[in-house]
Amino acid sequence: MSIFEYNGSAVVAMVGKNCFAIASDRRLGVNLQTIATDFQRIHKIHPKLYIGLSGLATDVQTLSQKLAFRHKLYVLREERDMRPETFASLVSALLYEKRFGPYLCMPVIAGLGDDNVPFICTMDCLGAKELAKDFVVSGTASESLYGACESMFKADMEPDELFETISQALLASVDRDCLSGWGGHVLLVTPTEVHEKTLKGRMD
Amino acid sequence: MSTPEVGVPRKGGFNFDLCRRNEMLFSKGIKPPSFLKTGTTIVGLVFKDGVVLGADTRATEGPIVADKNCEKIHYMAPNIYCCGAGTAADTEAVTDMISSQLQMHRYATGRESRVVTSLTLLKSHLFSYQGHVSAALVLGGVDVTGPHLHTIYPHGSTDTLPYATMGSGSLAAMAVFESKYKEGLTREEGIELVAEAICSGIFNDLGSGSNVDVCVITKGKTEYLRSHQLPNPRTYVSSKGYTFSKGLTEVLSTKITPLKQKQADTVPEGGDFMEE
Amino acid sequence: MMRIDTSGLDPFAPFTSASGDVYGDVLSVPSFELPRTTDFDGFQKKSVQMVKPAKGTTTLAFIFKDGVIVAADSRASMGGYICMSIVYLFFLHRTMIAGWDETGPGLYYVDSEGGRLKGKRFSVGSGSPYAYGVLDDGYRYNMSVEEAGELGRRAIYHATFRDAASGGVASVYHVGPNGWQKLSGDDVGDLHYKYYPVIAAPVEQEMSEAPSA
Repeated sequence: MSIFEYNGSAVVAMVGKNCFAIASDRRLGVNLQTIATDFQRIHKIHPKLYIGLSGLATDVQTLSQKLAFRHKLYVLREERDMRPETFASLVSALLYEKRFGPYLCMPVIAGLGDDNVPFICTMDCLGAKELAKDFVVSGTASESLYGACESMFKADMEPDELFETISQALLASVDRDCLSGWGGHVLLVTPTEVHEKTLKGRMD
Repeated sequence: MSTPEVGVPRKGGFNFDLCRRNEMLFSKGIKPPSFLKTGTTIVGLVFKDGVVLGADTRATEGPIVADKNCEKIHYMAPNIYCCGAGTAADTEAVTDMISSQLQMHRYATGRESRVVTSLTLLKSHLFSYQGHVSAALVLGGVDVTGPHLHTIYPHGSTDTLPYATMGSGSLAAMAVFESKYKEGLTREEGIELVAEAICSGIFNDLGSGSNVDVCVITKGKTEYLRSHQLPNPRTYVSSKGYTFSKGLTEVLSTKITPLKQKQADTVPEGGDFMEE
Repeated sequence: MMRIDTSGLDPFAPFTSASGDVYGDVLSVPSFELPRTTDFDGFQKKSVQMVKPAKGTTTLAFIFKDGVIVAADSRASMGGYICMSIVYLFFLHRTMIAGWDETGPGLYYVDSEGGRLKGKRFSVGSGSPYAYGVLDDGYRYNMSVEEAGELGRRAIYHATFRDAASGGVASVYHVGPNGWQKLSGDDVGDLHYKYYPVIAAPVEQEMSEAPSA
């Protein structure tokens, strides 16, 4: 069993027209046993920047707290929020520092940049950045998510359609993965609004 | 006396805090994670006026193609570029670190960086980690002493060559070079041969794939030809695609947060994430 | 096919030559077949590995005054991958045998090592601990068929909720003196919201916090 299968997870982010969506499942398990169905894997850095962390839950929480802290230091020093690209570099540096004893989680970063240009990216647990223009996936359901997103994604979707697409891709994928699911959590970010939704999903 | 600084950003270097914990987990039979690799075909050759570097654009994670169009030709200096194969994080980090050292060196000396300088910095870094930083590199550039091409192995050994290949597709690419390379190639011939060698890797090596990136460096000029060739376009794209009607997904709760428009001169606010 | 001779274990077994003659199959000594391989341990390990990934599921059965209730989920998973989401289970499943004969209702648990147990209630599969929890709590011998069916369904539902390798459809069967009958077959995806209804919360509006970009 891989360490990523210990808790189980599914995280996905998609780009739309001047907007983006990031979604995750809600399960926290220990191997096959489901412990909680309201686990948070997506963390807010600022209202237009989010990080979803798949993998080992303990490292997900540690890393998200470290990142929130580092962002606060940045805000104090620079008197502005981080750009998504800057934040991705911070995450990458933080992960690569532990090259020989890594945090056992894989981040998905999604944000709106200066001119509301969406930015998404994922990394492995050593911090190797993988930038994408369409969608990024991570977690135990990543294989099914790749398939679902590859066929469901369309360029330049409006926020409403983007929400439906990412939700359907997530729900379809986690139903093919034992270790993730138990509902979903979606954040849809446009230049003017943040929509935070919990999805009704299969609870098995 | 210095006080312990909790969580303050470190000055640099690796951190081994989690090694023992991870070792404990892995010894219990839990498999260590797989890292993002660049299966990779990377090549380089010296032509009449300079150096041509080439790379495929596939990144793999086990059997999965994680990125179909990644960048493997890394910037070192305006006149020096470096192709990377191996663990993606290592190739990225090592080239970034050395390129920043080169930049600092240029600030100090006010002169163009030399290829040997970056070669020495790269190899001494890799040698000091005894191959654990798994980056296999093809380094090319043109400096005051002319065009140079080197290969660097993960353990820190280097070669100086007129034509070189690296990565899992290196044999396929070298077959092309061995049969067709000659001295004094023109720029166009050089690019064509590099592209052919990369294509040989793309089609014959499973770890390499997608597109051909090329970088041509001549005296005083660098051209980065990203996606020089696209021999693997997507074969099937649905004309209509999936369409989901609005309200299809069942939602249990919704929270809408309107955002204030960006103002030119805003004082930063804590926001509610401070309370976490 | 090679055979191992187990006749030594049976002092009254008649002696006949090993297989090969016309009566081989009928008259041969008690024996079981061995695979043609030199590495028997390796073969055994491999065959177990071959079958093992298809695990998961929860099945339960219990005896009550009106017969036997057999219930099961329908997920077949390989490792973490769900390979078939709807497989209807019959009332003989892997390691439980339930039925009715002239002695009344019978329920046996049989394991792969050859063990056999007779009992009042059993559950097998990766989700069985969760099913036992519900079953032991709600079990009474003097239940009606409806109550018993509901108990079986609920036990399976709770197993599918907690166990990642169980899921799909919860099927419940009743075995009585006049044969078996399916009582229910519910998709646990819907069953969850039937047991725990969720009313979609009204849209929540929160006033803005200024992004300090």
